[in-house]
Amino acid sequence: MNFRNKYILILSIFLILQAVWFNHISLFGRFTPIVFIYPLLILPLSKSETFNLLIAFAGGIFLDIISNTGGIFAATGVFVTYLRKIYFLLSKNPVQKMEKININKIEYLQRIIYFIVFVFLSNIMIYFLDAFNAGLVISKWQTILLNTAISIFFIIFIDLIFFNPSKQ
Amino acid sequence: MIKLLRYLSTKQSFLVFVFLELIALILTIKAHDYAQMKTQSLQVAFAGNVNNVINNVEEHFYLKSYNDSLLKQNALLLEQLQRKITDNTSIPGSLPEQYSYFPAFVISNQYNLQHNTLLINKGETNGINPDTGVLSTNGIIGVVQKTSSHFAKVISLLNKNLKINVALKHTNYSGFLQWPGKVPNEFEVVDLPVNAPIKKGDTIVTGGMSGIFPKGIPIGKITGYRLVPGRKSYEIFIKSFTDMTAVGPVYVINNRLKTEMDSLTKP
Repeated sequence: MNFRNKYILILSIFLILQAVWFNHISLFGRFTPIVFIYPLLILPLSKSETFNLLIAFAGGIFLDIISNTGGIFAATGVFVTYLRKIYFLLSKNPVQKMEKININKIEYLQRIIYFIVFVFLSNIMIYFLDAFNAGLVISKWQTILLNTAISIFFIIFIDLIFFNPSKQ
Repeated sequence: MIKLLRYLSTKQSFLVFVFLELIALILTIKAHDYAQMKTQSLQVAFAGNVNNVINNVEEHFYLKSYNDSLLKQNALLLEQLQRKITDNTSIPGSLPEQYSYFPAFVISNQYNLQHNTLLINKGETNGINPDTGVLSTNGIIGVVQKTSSHFAKVISLLNKNLKINVALKHTNYSGFLQWPGKVPNEFEVVDLPVNAPIKKGDTIVTGGMSGIFPKGIPIGKITGYRLVPGRKSYEIFIKSFTDMTAVGPVYVINNRLKTEMDSLTKP
């Protein structure tokens, strides 16, 4: 299976999981884990970025249609997918080496930090696009932080199933 | 920074990123625009069909709680019927023939955003139109926004754009119910006049002035209130009777006289 089919399959599984199961979880009546971005975070940076953006958009639109959320998930998926490159660019890797970064070969602690940063950003993006009000996003910081923590818990759990750090 | 900008400008992916973000933002803004009522019926139909499949699986796990709520509703209806027979009066505030009720089922329910919506499994073919109210056994749920042939999209009570006319029970003092966007069962009532005799524990009911809901449907209990500085009105905090995170069977209320009422209120 080539990498495109493989990632389309993984993304499809996560979209169905998000739509069928995670969207219906309401921890403490307020928190819903956002896990559909996990396959977007593990997409290879070295492959076609346009392809990555297009499948992030298509996946997000699918969730938006199911959830009646306009384009919130699509905007978040595209934002997260594009920002990954800038994240590594601003961390310590020089521009010319960008194509050589392999997310599966970075240290596991760095990988967790990378997940935390992007899950947090995606939660902020979702709440901001929903409210269209920066003040409201600030007033909901506790909800955003806890929703991030719950999403991270599920994402790391899934990551440990798919990705074994001891193989590094 | 210059290095970053130079890198971005040489990349085709940057343009793709901007283009896709713009499309997604336009869709998001359109979804927030409640003035456009009927343009997304295809999207409502697609979401309805997908959620219907999901719901068919889910509902087996909730049969017991749905049975309980239906039993409670049966008891309530029997009580109302008994009262009607003995008192020869109807449900307070509603003309017996003014409102008709269609049973429906919630197949998709949002509660974690600021502008939440629901989908129900009844649509135009069942006589459901925009601007009709939706009730559960415990109280009101929302107002139908748009419909497709077999499904309807409902603006949830947990939507910051929705305001419902409400009143203090057994009085004619009215205000507007709105959701502050924090906890799913905590709401506010604004614009209730200062001379209204309110106290903690009082019940807030529908006001019936919009013609969407009949008067007197219980919504919640007052948990606190304060006088709004500079305005001669109260801001009241209430806890709703309905758990908006767990809704299943509902009723769509159609006001047969709404068009006639609206024709008199329009300028």
